[in-house]
This record gives sequence, structure tokens and C-alpha cells, in this order.
Amino acid sequence: MSFREKSAWISFVSLVVVFGAYFSYIGMVLAGLTSNRFALFLVMVAVFIIAEVVLHIVIATQSPRDARTPKDEREQLIELKATRTAFYVLLVSAFGSIGTVHLRLSDPDDHLWLMMQAILFSIVFAEAVKFARQIVLYRRDA
Amino acid sequence: MDTAIRNTIRRLRFDHSEMTQQELADKIGVTRQTVNAIELSKYSPSLEVAFRIAAVFGVPLDEVFQYDGKGVKR
Repeated sequence: MSFREKSAWISFVSLVVVFGAYFSYIGMVLAGLTSNRFALFLVMVAVFIIAEVVLHIVIATQSPRDARTPKDEREQLIELKATRTAFYVLLVSAFGSIGTVHLRLSDPDDHLWLMMQAILFSIVFAEAVKFARQIVLYRRDA
Repeated sequence: MDTAIRNTIRRLRFDHSEMTQQELADKIGVTRQTVNAIELSKYSPSLEVAFRIAAVFGVPLDEVFQYDGKGVKR
């Protein structure tokens, strides 16, 4: 497995685990099981960044030569294809986020909070799709 | 998905002192995985990389790559 493919796996798994936990928590808030804490989002972002950095250092030490090599044309093409797919996912889910204003909520302020969470989910979901598509393209060419 | 372009890179590597994929990759400025994908006809390289490969082996481009398609589908 190439360094870039390992990198895509790390980003995908980190994203799914860290933000999967975060949005599970948001699901509990929506269900009224717990109260919202915005600080948790900041903690999750910090955890995600730390996990990315540490795991990338680990794979870079295993294959330092590959880590130093700039992306070649095939790797750039894979990244472009994956980014294009993620863009459409982001587009659709962003429109879906706008749709949250039509939900009937008791507190009008909740609309803002819910739309913010929906937009965050859209971004995370699009990123996850991007890394998943990269992995598929790397596997198909392997 | 396989491309319509076939190549003789594997044989040319063998004929050039059994050059490894990594050695060829270093000479043309791509990763070993990309050389492997080109060899297996799973990726068509840019014209520039194709010329670099031909230059490494000192042969014309059409000795390295051959078009295997039946023409452009419309």
C-alpha cells in the first residue's frame, strides 16, 4: 500500500471515528437526552488534528522516501476526481441543511443551531466521501 | 478499468539490466505504484511521462506504447 493510500485511510478513519462520536452526541442532544456543549466540537476538532498529525508521522517514519516525494500526475488526478465527487455531495447536503428551517421547533434559536450542525455534518460527510473515493481509486489502480 | 493503450515497459525493463519499477519511477519522476498502474494498462500516462519513459529506454514512443482501441466511440 502506497504512502498516499495509507494517508487517505488515516484521514477517512479519523474523520469517521472522531466526528461519528460527535454527531452521535448531537443525536442525543436532539433526542433530549443531554444538553448541548459547543466546546465539545472544538475538542473533537483538536482530537482529529492530533490523530491526523500523529498517525501521519508514524507512516512517514515507516516510508520517509515516499512521504518526501511530491504527488505525481496519477495521484493528483485521483485527488481531483475525489474532490469533484465530494463537491457534489457537499452541494446536495448544503441544500439539505437549508431545508432545516422548515422543521417545526419550539425555540426559534434552535433553527440556527440545527442548521449549523447540519452544515458541519455536510462538510464532514463530503470530506469522508472524498477520502473514501480516493481509497477506491487507489485500490482500483493497484 | 483497463485503458486502450498497451505497453512493453515490463519487457523493456527486463532488457535494461532488469531495471526495477522503483528505478524507472525515480528516473521519470513518478511513484512506483504509478509505474505499476501504467504497466498493467490501468492508467494512461501524460504525453510528457510517456516521452520520459521512451527516453529512459532510448527507443521511439511507439515502441513503448501501442493503441489497442477500435477508434473513438461517438
